[in-house]
Amino acid sequence: MECYSEQTCAIFVDGELGVDEAGRLRAHLTTCQRCRELVDALRAENRFLGECLHELPEEAPSPATFSRSRWSWLWGDLAAMAALLGLGSIFFVWINDLKIPEALQWLNPSGVDGITNLIFNFSYYFANGGTAMLADYAAVVGGLFLLVGGAAVLLGRRWRQQPGLRLVIVLLAMSLPSFGLERRHADFVTVAANEIVDDTLLAAGNTVRMEGVVNGDLLAFGRTLEVRGTVKGDLVSFAKRTVVSGTVEGSIYNLSESLDLDGQLGHSIYGWMQSLRVDTRGHVGDGILVGAGDISLEGDVKRSATIFAGNADVSGSIGRELTMAGGGLTLTNTARVGGNLSARVHQLKDVHIADGATIGGKRDIQVRVRESQFTRPRFYFHQAIWLAAAILVGWLGLVLFPGFFEACTQAVGLGWRSLGLGFGVLVGAPVAMIVVAITLVGLPLSLMVFAVYMVAIYLAKIWVGAFLGRMLLKPVGATKGDWVLGLLVGLVILTVIGFIPYLGGLIHLAVMCLGLGAFAWQLYGASRPASTT
Amino acid sequence: MDAERNKAKGPPPREGTAKQMEGLDLESVIARARGRDAEALAEIYRRYARRVFGLCRYMLDSSESAEDATGEVFLKLQRLIESYDGAIPFPRWLLRVAGNQCIDALRRRQRGRRVIMEVGETTVIDGPSSEQSPLGAVITTEERQQVRDAIARLPENYRVPLVLRYYSELSYDEIAQQLDLQRNHVAALIFRAKQELRRKLNHGSK
Repeated sequence: MECYSEQTCAIFVDGELGVDEAGRLRAHLTTCQRCRELVDALRAENRFLGECLHELPEEAPSPATFSRSRWSWLWGDLAAMAALLGLGSIFFVWINDLKIPEALQWLNPSGVDGITNLIFNFSYYFANGGTAMLADYAAVVGGLFLLVGGAAVLLGRRWRQQPGLRLVIVLLAMSLPSFGLERRHADFVTVAANEIVDDTLLAAGNTVRMEGVVNGDLLAFGRTLEVRGTVKGDLVSFAKRTVVSGTVEGSIYNLSESLDLDGQLGHSIYGWMQSLRVDTRGHVGDGILVGAGDISLEGDVKRSATIFAGNADVSGSIGRELTMAGGGLTLTNTARVGGNLSARVHQLKDVHIADGATIGGKRDIQVRVRESQFTRPRFYFHQAIWLAAAILVGWLGLVLFPGFFEACTQAVGLGWRSLGLGFGVLVGAPVAMIVVAITLVGLPLSLMVFAVYMVAIYLAKIWVGAFLGRMLLKPVGATKGDWVLGLLVGLVILTVIGFIPYLGGLIHLAVMCLGLGAFAWQLYGASRPASTT
Repeated sequence: MDAERNKAKGPPPREGTAKQMEGLDLESVIARARGRDAEALAEIYRRYARRVFGLCRYMLDSSESAEDATGEVFLKLQRLIESYDGAIPFPRWLLRVAGNQCIDALRRRQRGRRVIMEVGETTVIDGPSSEQSPLGAVITTEERQQVRDAIARLPENYRVPLVLRYYSELSYDEIAQQLDLQRNHVAALIFRAKQELRRKLNHGSK
């Protein structure tokens, strides 16, 4: 009988050969020395391979170290989360305690109004190059940086000697919320139907599917979030697509492409999304406050709905007011609004209210004339005050530091060099401040730099304005009067240009960079008198 | 098992429950883990993390990926342990779960491409005998390390079935199911893997 191939023998040795063939091979082995030897060698090889493999690779951590590293990971995450929550709370306290200037209100993130304002107004402010936007932004971001720097200092050993920091510590300790947090991260995160998560669940994954019960809040990040189970707290979703067919007993805070609700919601929906759909089976226990491209309300909203939408279709029921601003609004025959209906649209024909639609209160449909701030006297008053303040500051600067202000104005003329340097300073200074603030000794220095940075950002437009005015007026002499007149002309021009949509914002940025760059050149020159003289 | 248990009893345990767990037999631990007992899950982790990590390390290309995969396996275990019916020994079942996790990880990494390629034109079981004889001569620790290195250097399509067969001790059918291949392909891949391993080791020793 012909011998078997090595592969067949190998399969036989693995115990994977069919019963009949294995029997034949066994019979063959009794007569064939060569095959017997091969099979024995293959068996030895298998044994050997198994032994080699079961001696684990050398870098294999022992279970003890492995679990320790997992714990440190856990503690690290918890610590980061606690620090974040603490800092966030302090930040909110700080923001609330501040008498926030009006120009900054849109940036106040405490409270729903602030958040929605932040989202809705950002594009508006940017488009209109809101004069103080970048400076305000710098102020707030600077404040945040200070907080981060402060937190870093907390880690320093000598923090106890800083009375101010003790206060921060107390605030931090008091502001730590006492809920647990469970974190799940995988491509596909599921909470099974029979599973109960007692803590707040932070789930991140390509698909997050929640079929069980989450007793805390559910925070989800990912491509798709499906809530089929019950969330006892709030749902915070940053998923691209969010579908709620189960129950959320709290509110939904949603920032995603689409949100579909065909389940039960205890409180409200807040958010910003491309499309929002409350299905016929969907029920919102409280109200809706959202901005979205498309909104379709087919279900039941117990209280008011305030919506900013490109297009909104209402065929369900809204218990109280419906307030809408945006492109178009359609109320079908089945729509029911318990309170007033107010809509602000561009054209009257954008509002369709079917005859069968029920509206309990008044109908107030306003066609929004592209009303601009320029029509309001208050606007000019504000601008005049702003201009007068800037001129006063410029004049004071010129009186107190004549050489420096003159030189800064001239340095604006360095053009690209100032612009480039200024941009570097604008972006780099906050980073440098954080780095410096990390060391305890550096904190006062960092605070001083921050103050100078903010002052320089404000003064930037004064130097650029003065330069622009001088360029245009070309005064013969160089008196203070000429300088201030030039400043007035320059600032008026910059202010007017600043109101050009989109371009205005860019010009403001350029002005800020130019001024900062000029300032930096002068600081550099002043620190090295030998090279400048 | 007893030796391991005694060894585990060596250091003073931190908590009473942990100590109890160490003394329990596997079945009770599994039963308690099914009831979402965190201590029981931790005990399973303590007993099997190393083995699971070993499999992941052989199947994936870095320690980090292996640690991630091991973490995922034990996270999934919290849910999956309910589906363990005792039909096969627990360690083998766990390694099967781990194997699946690794295969998923490999697939994710090479999206769009089949991880385990088919054997090519030669899917026939019978082939000529290899010119190299089966391994078995090498015995020292150092040489065993060489074998492991050679396994790590095997192409993925050879390495994965080989590890599943001789580390996880899965049958050809189970491997075929996990890799979504036909049984005879699996047989051929394992055979080729061993041939390739011999070639690498003989080549290295020359």
